[in-house]
This record gives sequence, structure tokens and C-alpha cells, in this order.
Amino acid sequence: MNVTPDTTAGNGGTFDPREAAALLDQTSRKARRQLSPAQPWLLSIRGVLVLAALGAVWFTVRDQHPYQGPHGSALLIVAAFVILNFTATMAVRARAVAGVSGRSRYTPVEIAVLAGAWVVPYVVMVALGVTGDNQSGYLLTVPLISVGLTYAAVMAVRSAWRSVGTGIAVAVTGAAGVIAGQPAVWAVVGVGLSITLLGSAAAVAWQLHRS
Amino acid sequence: MTTAELDPLIHVPTRLKIVATLAALPDGDTLSFTRLQDMIGLTPGNLIIHLRKLEEADYITSSKTSNGTATITTVALTGHGRKALETYTQALRDLLGGL
Repeated sequence: MNVTPDTTAGNGGTFDPREAAALLDQTSRKARRQLSPAQPWLLSIRGVLVLAALGAVWFTVRDQHPYQGPHGSALLIVAAFVILNFTATMAVRARAVAGVSGRSRYTPVEIAVLAGAWVVPYVVMVALGVTGDNQSGYLLTVPLISVGLTYAAVMAVRSAWRSVGTGIAVAVTGAAGVIAGQPAVWAVVGVGLSITLLGSAAAVAWQLHRS
Repeated sequence: MTTAELDPLIHVPTRLKIVATLAALPDGDTLSFTRLQDMIGLTPGNLIIHLRKLEEADYITSSKTSNGTATITTVALTGHGRKALETYTQALRDLLGGL
């Protein structure tokens, strides 16, 4: 078989070390960026949008005495954010991990556990009758605690400590929302999730740009 | 230290790009041939030649899996390959520091 000669610098003999160092640095950064399922720009956008969505709800309920819960249109904003957030996150993740297989992919068991952590709290709350408008804050905070702790546990098994921190931050945000009560829960959760997402964006950006 | 002391298998632009790209994967992950080709921007024939050289040196492993209709080739950096890149990177730093 004929072997194609190595390109651009023969067999390395004329490959300048400075060029090699620059190429190594550039390729490493580009590869990390392309293979990263969490993109700083998306995390930052999500951080701003969650604050805007939950802040909008808080504006509609902050003067309610007694508390009656958010208006339907405000909840629609939240629902739109959740759908947009989920779709964009999944699309970016699918693009990043295309062609990648192995340990970093979620296993079916992990996916089932994380989905359960979302669904089970709602099932339990519906069963307990926690569904009225004046209890809508619990529909926001309890799943956050459940998902945050579950995600942290799953990531701890993987020794992914930055993600463990993210999960704990989400759970703490949910707990702070419960403590704050109505109507402050919307503002507290909005600020907490925004800080978590912007913090994650900064951490990922640092990871991707280090030499 | 001189350029001659740099690992000749890695000190070639194309293979340096391949090894650096595979090193960006977490331990235990593999990358499909087509995704690697897309990321590096090489023709399949050229990529195969370089991968073969790296595999002969035990710097990478490759495996083929079939789902009945198509065969998927995946590649990954071995522990030996990761160590070789670390050594190469350090040698490069020493060399440039000494220039």
C-alpha cells in the first residue's frame, strides 16, 4: 500500500516547535469546545431567561393579599421557558456528543432516575392535593430539590464534582424558595437558578479556555 | 533539548491534531471515525493512514461495531497515548523555554 506523506511539514523534521505548541493549544481548545455538552453561551442565556421568566411571575403576584397565585399568562411564560430551555439544551448536547460513546453518555438507568426525580414529586403532590393556585410555589420548589439532589448523587457516582455542585445549588435554591414562602418564592428561585446557571457558565468557560 | 527529542510520531501536524482531539475526550469515551474526520478536516484515506501509525505504536485503539446495516468505527486514545502526549507537551515546553 502506498503511504501518503505527512502533510505540511514532512515527517516533523521541519515542524517548528513554536508552530507545534500553537497547533496543540488551538486544537485542544477547539476539541474541548466542540465536545462539551454544556456551552457557556447557552448557560448564560438560560441564566438570564430564567430570571426574566420567574421575575415576570413575581411581578404579577408580589402585591397579592391574600396570595392567590400567578395569572395564567404568567405561567404560560414559565412553561414556554421550560420548553425552550429543554429543547435548546437537548439540541446542543446532541450536537456535542454526536459520535461520542462511552462513559460520559448517560446510561438508561441514569436517565430513568433523573426523569423519575422530576415526575415523582408531581405525582405525590397531585395525590396529596397540592395543586391549587396558592400552592403553585411548591410545584416549582419541590421538584427542584428532588432533581437537584438526584442529579448531585448521579454526578457524585461519576466523580463529576462541578456537576455535583450544580445539583446541590439547584436543591438549595428549591429549599430557599420553600423557606421564603409565597410570593417571594418566585423571585428567590429565579435569582438562585440564575446564579447557578451563570456560575456554571463561568466554570465551563474557564475549563474550555485553560491551556 | 533539541527538536529531535520530540516524539516523532506525534510531532507531525496531522497526528498532533488527532492526538490532541482524542485527548479532549474524557477517559473511557470513544469517538466515531466520521466525527473525528469532521473535526480534523481530513480525507478518510489520509486519516486512516495516520490512525494506523498511531495504532501500531499503541497510542490509540480502534474498534468496529455493526448494527446490521452499517459498520461504525470508533477510536480512542490509550493510556500509553495520553502519557505520550503529556511527555510531548512537557518536552515542547522545555524546548520553548530554552529557546
